[in-house]
Amino acid sequence: MSQLDVFEPAMCCPTGVCGVSVDPVLAQFNADLQALSALGVTVVRHSLSHDAAAFASQPAVVQEMQAGMDRLPICMVDGHIVTTGLYPSRLQLMVKLGLPIATEDKPRVKLGDCGCQPGQCG
Amino acid sequence: MSLPLIDTRFSFFTGKGGVGKTSLACATALRLAEAGLRVLLVSTDPASNLDEVLETPLGPTPTPVRAVPGLQALNIDPEAAAAAYRERMVGPFRGVLPDAAIRSMEEQFSGGCTVEIAAFDAFAELLAGAGPVGEFDRVVFDTAPTGHTLRLLTLPSAWSQFLASNTSGNSCLGPLSGLEKNKAVYAAALAQLTQADQTTVVLVARPEHAALREAERTRHELAELGVTHLRLALNGVFAPEQATDAVAIAMRERHAAALQRLPAGLAGLPSSRTGFIPRGLVGLAALRAFLHPADVALAARSAAPLPEVPQGLGGLLADIEAAGHGLVMTMGKGGVGKTTVAAAVAVALAQRGHPVVLSTTDPAAHVTWALGEAVPGLTVQRIDPAAEVQRYRDEVLAKAGAGLDASARAMLEEDLRSPCTEEIAIFHAFARTVDAAAGGFVVLDTAPTGHTILLMDSAEAYHREVMRTQGDMPEAVRQLLPRLRDAQFTRVLIVTLPEATPVHEAERLQADLRRAGIEPFAWVINQSLLASGTHDPVLAQRGDYERPYIDQVLQHAARRCALLAWQCREPVGADALRGLFGEG
Repeated sequence: MSQLDVFEPAMCCPTGVCGVSVDPVLAQFNADLQALSALGVTVVRHSLSHDAAAFASQPAVVQEMQAGMDRLPICMVDGHIVTTGLYPSRLQLMVKLGLPIATEDKPRVKLGDCGCQPGQCG
Repeated sequence: MSLPLIDTRFSFFTGKGGVGKTSLACATALRLAEAGLRVLLVSTDPASNLDEVLETPLGPTPTPVRAVPGLQALNIDPEAAAAAYRERMVGPFRGVLPDAAIRSMEEQFSGGCTVEIAAFDAFAELLAGAGPVGEFDRVVFDTAPTGHTLRLLTLPSAWSQFLASNTSGNSCLGPLSGLEKNKAVYAAALAQLTQADQTTVVLVARPEHAALREAERTRHELAELGVTHLRLALNGVFAPEQATDAVAIAMRERHAAALQRLPAGLAGLPSSRTGFIPRGLVGLAALRAFLHPADVALAARSAAPLPEVPQGLGGLLADIEAAGHGLVMTMGKGGVGKTTVAAAVAVALAQRGHPVVLSTTDPAAHVTWALGEAVPGLTVQRIDPAAEVQRYRDEVLAKAGAGLDASARAMLEEDLRSPCTEEIAIFHAFARTVDAAAGGFVVLDTAPTGHTILLMDSAEAYHREVMRTQGDMPEAVRQLLPRLRDAQFTRVLIVTLPEATPVHEAERLQADLRRAGIEPFAWVINQSLLASGTHDPVLAQRGDYERPYIDQVLQHAARRCALLAWQCREPVGADALRGLFGEG
């Protein structure tokens, strides 16, 4: 099973309650990671304040940070950066991790929704 | 006169800065050693002058005190320990990670929490009874972990998430993550504190109403954490047989009145009383004289003139008023009189015809009480920390908790129990107050620390840049951060007492604020006996003792300063508060 590493800025608690406001995205992300972990993914969260060594040991992560601290958070699947600068959704993470997604969760496009003329959709 | 009775192996002295914890701890340790016990005295006070007091150079390991058989001492500076810890965590990454990353890491390790935890780290090792402690019958600490630290360490997440060595974790405990001690050592230390046959906690207080209310709050807080083997040490009791000077008469009466009306929780504790020590207890001869009192001749009075510093708040007030509106914050440790100074400024501004909101977080609602009667134009608001925390928790759970499953919700609730949540919740309340009164003056007696402001600021920047959203941050909070840095809008008054520890604590506060880009407007040195003009031989000597601390503030700390005399009439009520304006 894959390993997901999350490199986060130096900040408060994993749920963000100690920040200026609780970010629902962060609370949700925290819950999503728990769910992935329950599916067997090895999830490791590295906060810059507690675990700088993990950042320093990944040249690709350091390179991103040199480009700008706003590249954090960085998600990495099995040593490859998959997202920068945002907390992906559970679904996005599952796609990146190659996990099976239930049919009803898959993004659906209904015929005609794309706005193309019939027969010209491409 | 008596010293607190210590019948357990470990004892801690706790109380606000300047109440005499180190003096009492030294005297107690000396008495125990004289009784033939092997005693280790441990100081973790960063302003400690224990070397001078014991006439022995001390370090982080036990050193025998010259000329006192059985007594050894050690000195741990928690600020130095915290700085060393911070450097250990950050240093290896300088030049490896970008500068911006290094700066954000440094701030995470710069808060008061890091110092508190570093101090507890030192306690824990000694409480575990290992190493050098094994040789001693008694271990006396001149400080104690605060309720805040103990609450942090009793959070289940402290153990389950943090010390269990994973890398995610609750960052309110961030400072703890790299400490060497393990879960078992901390757990044992906490357990030790609650064992009545092992540990005594001595609450040290001055015989004054406000100080005793503070001590009662500490008692209650400790009791809730299961620490119940307590003693009350009333220090600095001024009860001369003869008092002819107005200041001496007023002080004697005030002390007697406070002692007659002890808060019920304190009245039930075994207590001890020690007298007013005009020049502190420095040197073994002074300590022995304190233990075995005889008539000691008083030193000659200093003939030096008063330091050149404006007396009273009048001069500062004129400049505050000139702006026509703005925010005035009084900052300082408990017991230095920041509520009184805030009330005095608010009353004066209201009396000069300005609309003023005076806001306090003082749990005793001290401001309302201090004002006594209504003053036209002045509104008094109380921010109730417990109510604010509840409100904040409810808001967060309603907003962020709604879509979460049970276990994620439980994690969120756990984080919300952290003591840091209180600071955040109060910050929100504080932002609303400031926002609501943009037209007039707002005077606050409790302000967020520089560290809180920096954390807020970085969280705000984080939302702005990383999330590309404004998060859920209320407009009032977003507006507040730049306003606090605007010297034309916000004026910070640092309040202190002319004594070693309070001045040191105030300097720390100022450094904290400067880190956050806030330059204090002025310092206020409160309750000066030197400025009171007393002729009482004991009190005047105390006044002389204040000189080096006043000089230190004038020469090294403050850009502007006001000196307030000890008030014969207790500064309670609008009328009496005018006494603080002096001639300035």
